[in-house]
Amino acid sequence: MATESGTRDQSWFGDTGQISRLPGRVFAATCLGATLFAILTVFGLLVYVANDAFRPATADPRWHLVFFLTLVLPSLALFGYYVARGDGESWVAATALGIPFFGLLLGSGVLLLFIDVLSVVAWLAFVLAVLAAAVVIKSHRRIRPAPGFLEHLLVIVGSLGAVAPAVYFGVVNLPVVPTPWLIYLLTFGAAGAALAGLVVARRRSSDRAGLTAAALVFAAAAGGGLAVSAVGIEPEIWVVLFTFAGVPTALYVESVLRERERPVGLLFPLVVVVGILLGAFLVDTLGFAGPDSWLDYGFLTSADSRFPEEAGIYPALIGSILMMVVVAAASFPIGVGAALYLEEYAPNDGALGAIVKLVQINIGNLAGVPSIVYGLLGLALFVHWGGLRPGIVIVGGLTIGLLILPIIIIAAQEAIRAVPDSMREASYGMGATQWQTIRRVVLPEALPGILTGSILGFGRAIGETAPLLMIGAAATVYTPPNGFFDLFSAMPRQIYAWVGKPAHEFQYGVMAAGVVTLLVVLLSMNAAAILIRNKYQRRT
Amino acid sequence: MTQDNMTTSDSDADTENEPLVSPAPGSEAIDTDSKRRRTIHDETVVEARNLDVYYGDDQALRDIDIEIPKKQVTAMIGPSGCGKSTFLRCINRMNDLIDSCRVDGELYFEGKNVYDEDVDSVALRRRIGMVFQSPNPFPKSIYDNVAYGLRVQGKTQNMDEKVENALKGAALWDEVKDRLDESGLELSGGQQQRLCIARAIAVDPDVILMDEPASALDPVATSQIEDLIADLAEEYTVVIVTHNMQQAARISDKTAVFLTGGELVEFDETQKIFENPESQRVEDYITGKFG
Repeated sequence: MATESGTRDQSWFGDTGQISRLPGRVFAATCLGATLFAILTVFGLLVYVANDAFRPATADPRWHLVFFLTLVLPSLALFGYYVARGDGESWVAATALGIPFFGLLLGSGVLLLFIDVLSVVAWLAFVLAVLAAAVVIKSHRRIRPAPGFLEHLLVIVGSLGAVAPAVYFGVVNLPVVPTPWLIYLLTFGAAGAALAGLVVARRRSSDRAGLTAAALVFAAAAGGGLAVSAVGIEPEIWVVLFTFAGVPTALYVESVLRERERPVGLLFPLVVVVGILLGAFLVDTLGFAGPDSWLDYGFLTSADSRFPEEAGIYPALIGSILMMVVVAAASFPIGVGAALYLEEYAPNDGALGAIVKLVQINIGNLAGVPSIVYGLLGLALFVHWGGLRPGIVIVGGLTIGLLILPIIIIAAQEAIRAVPDSMREASYGMGATQWQTIRRVVLPEALPGILTGSILGFGRAIGETAPLLMIGAAATVYTPPNGFFDLFSAMPRQIYAWVGKPAHEFQYGVMAAGVVTLLVVLLSMNAAAILIRNKYQRRT
Repeated sequence: MTQDNMTTSDSDADTENEPLVSPAPGSEAIDTDSKRRRTIHDETVVEARNLDVYYGDDQALRDIDIEIPKKQVTAMIGPSGCGKSTFLRCINRMNDLIDSCRVDGELYFEGKNVYDEDVDSVALRRRIGMVFQSPNPFPKSIYDNVAYGLRVQGKTQNMDEKVENALKGAALWDEVKDRLDESGLELSGGQQQRLCIARAIAVDPDVILMDEPASALDPVATSQIEDLIADLAEEYTVVIVTHNMQQAARISDKTAVFLTGGELVEFDETQKIFENPESQRVEDYITGKFG
């Protein structure tokens, strides 16, 4: 006995092979292999497509060298420094670069809408009409602080139904209207100034600081507009881009600097922008030829053509944006409403509860129905039954809206379910009604999650092709749609059309440029969703 | 006496408070009924008669009879699962939120059976505030947390003053007066619980229910909450559930002992319960032989 236990004791710590880790190691290696295979395959495809779209090999090698020295090397060095410090600077850097980037993207989208779709005067009239209705509702609240529900409803319906249309048509029919850029200044510039003022006033708990910030922003919008028009750029462009990109960036920089929260991170966007400008200046003066990309400014701003060099994606891009407006307007309110009903109101047990469970299961199933089937549904519902013209923006938008509706419902339900019950109990315990609890506690808490899930759903929507084929969206349109009832083409549909063309340049070059454009839009949307999610996760 | 107290404490809220009983045909009869109740049980605010509560097929409370006195601290103690929290949640009908919960018997608040058809549970909860086991401030600013009840109940006049008074009443004002617009979630656990108490008293309820309010807190925060409860009893009727017998002995005027199976075994002056209980089972529980 004694010798037995003695030998056991001596070898308890050693690797004598009694405890085999081999199966575990093999399994871990297999999993790693699967991961690498998946990522590398997709990444390889992306590199292949990007290579076709940008054709970097056609550039002068010295061009690459210049940009490597001015842009890539400093950025990489700075980023490496952030990572080495490991203090969260890279997050500040990413945000400081991301905010102006998305702002510019959004601002450009808005500009495109105004150039091709909306009339500026109608926009001014719309803004004034909404403002007038809001003023009526607010002042009613001030005069009678506790109106009955019916009275309140009556005022809201009245101001939206009578006051707003009156103002709208009044302004539209005015004999004299301000110049477009003044309208932009009064709508976007003023809104940006008001927003900046509110944020600063709240951050510094000082109304004067807020007023100063608002005045500064408005002055910058107006002064900048005058300045750029002096050098021949349209002042509208300045006002819109300044509001969407400049104001949020300035607010972010201000908060980082004031709270001294890793301000070193702010260097990164500076280095990137200076690197791009310096590189561009150098290759221009030294005469180094850049790559002969398929994806260039001309591709983004011109229509399709028989000649690959002149082909562009502009009408399809506008078509996609307009379609997404319809998709968002149709699916977001309905999806969130359905999710709220299912989570907050629907009965849990009894016969009705069984029906609710059935509905719930089927929403899950609907999310998996093939998109071609939704195309068929849209064709039947909106074209044959609803009498709309096939291939117009609103039919495409509504069809794809139906397609992502289950996705939005499920995402919103998850976000609503994630609101802790203790919040609801606290609210009910204060004598709040269910409606008050939902409006004041559940919805504000769930909104970031709802937005994140919905944006991911919209990302799915923008890439859908099969339903567009079914509802008869045109392969190619040469002028962008002017409204929601015009014929349109969308980016994936246009890409599909290019692949079918016999010319080699279309099948590889132009198609690749279209794919990269679509992917950039899609990835931007996903990145925006991630930004929203991270911002609110960090707060709580 | 009861009537007098009510009118003085509610003098400014009279017009704002929605009536507990929605005006319905036959409200005359209800009024006389409640008057009779009040005269019989002077000083009693909450009274249960033959109260049974079921979750599905499980009975959580059996035949509870209790009279909770006005402006005193009444503690409910007992082992886990004895139904003390369930009873607390019956008083302001929070159990309505649980689908499987069924209540038999009567529970009177100021002489009116709160389970009558014509009682609006929302109006009831506006008179009976609640503080929960773990602090659950809203993810809003400190000010908005306290103002929440005032806003949902439409008592939006003199809001700054009411918020300040509520925070003072919860002994939190000095700690937060310079940062009212910070999130309530940035406070410490004990401060959060006092914020929840401030939120409950801001709307000036008659009764405050507390469901183990200190069980998630450290000893210092616990003793702050206990001091606060003693102060609150000057103005409010406090009903507190606790699993901490020393706490019940320290802070309460009356103690109810629930034992497993949902029975109310004994209800008396706190001193008597802890020094000379009638029931052997209660004595065993209090001395730690059982539970």
